[in-house]
Amino acid sequence: MAEAAALEGSEPVDLAKHPSGIVPTLQNIVSTVNLDCKLDLKAIALQARNAEYNPKRFAAVIMRIREPKTTALIFASGKMVCTGAKSEQQSKLAARKYARIIQKLGFPAKFKDFKIQNIVGSCDVKFPIRLEGLAYSHGAFSSYEPELFPGLIYRMKQPKIVLLIFVSGKIVLTGAKVRDETYTAFENIYPVLTEFRKVQQ
Amino acid sequence: MATFELYRRSTIGMCLTETLDEMVSSSTLSPELAIQVLVQFDKSMTEALENQVKSKVSIKGHLHTYRFCDNVWTFILTEASFKNEETTEQVGKVKIVACDSKLLSQ
Repeated sequence: MAEAAALEGSEPVDLAKHPSGIVPTLQNIVSTVNLDCKLDLKAIALQARNAEYNPKRFAAVIMRIREPKTTALIFASGKMVCTGAKSEQQSKLAARKYARIIQKLGFPAKFKDFKIQNIVGSCDVKFPIRLEGLAYSHGAFSSYEPELFPGLIYRMKQPKIVLLIFVSGKIVLTGAKVRDETYTAFENIYPVLTEFRKVQQ
Repeated sequence: MATFELYRRSTIGMCLTETLDEMVSSSTLSPELAIQVLVQFDKSMTEALENQVKSKVSIKGHLHTYRFCDNVWTFILTEASFKNEETTEQVGKVKIVACDSKLLSQ
């Protein structure tokens, strides 16, 4: 939390790493871990707090904790998905807390193969963008169909990141496994965005 | 008609159960009949709440804990306020148990 605040606040930006002067804010981290033991989901749902289990709709217990504010999907196989954290460390901490809850319910839960699966970041370049022009000149990477979705979908190849670019200048970056991929992708796209800056009438 | 046994834990349900227990232990009532009375109580409560209660109450509070298992929602609220047309009542802690009435008609 403090870290995110620092990035958004007055803290000076490392211009060597972020030449644009803008640091994308991490919005969501998805991680997975293997608790490496079979789980009785109904027993978990009945004993743990803040749990939902509706096997007719979804074959996992959905559990939430308040700190770090996250949601976990817990499967009978012992595999778990943790979503909602704002940093890698918070995601790992949350996953550990869920594992601890499962242990306290009497299961021999381990903490195997923890992995960050996706990082979503966002930022605002604070100027409007001509999406049509961008889509035209970067046709190989862009998909812009305003009748379907108002943003331009930019599939960057290196790093392999998907960007949603909106007319407003708001950008969403997804698909990263490490935060530097998000940062690199943004620095790659920033000069393109300035090139297609919309001149206000 | 299928019914929930949800209302047996209410004050009126607990009193009825207690009375029936006493009657069974003093042999003034057969256990079978006592069970039948409880089943009728379940039906009557469901029907009465469905057809005779017209007032609405809104409940607002901080969600402390929730659970959904076996199609039953359980909520624990703190600092809850119960509001109806006339009054507002503050409660420090309240537990709500809710079932889906659609399941009864299946």
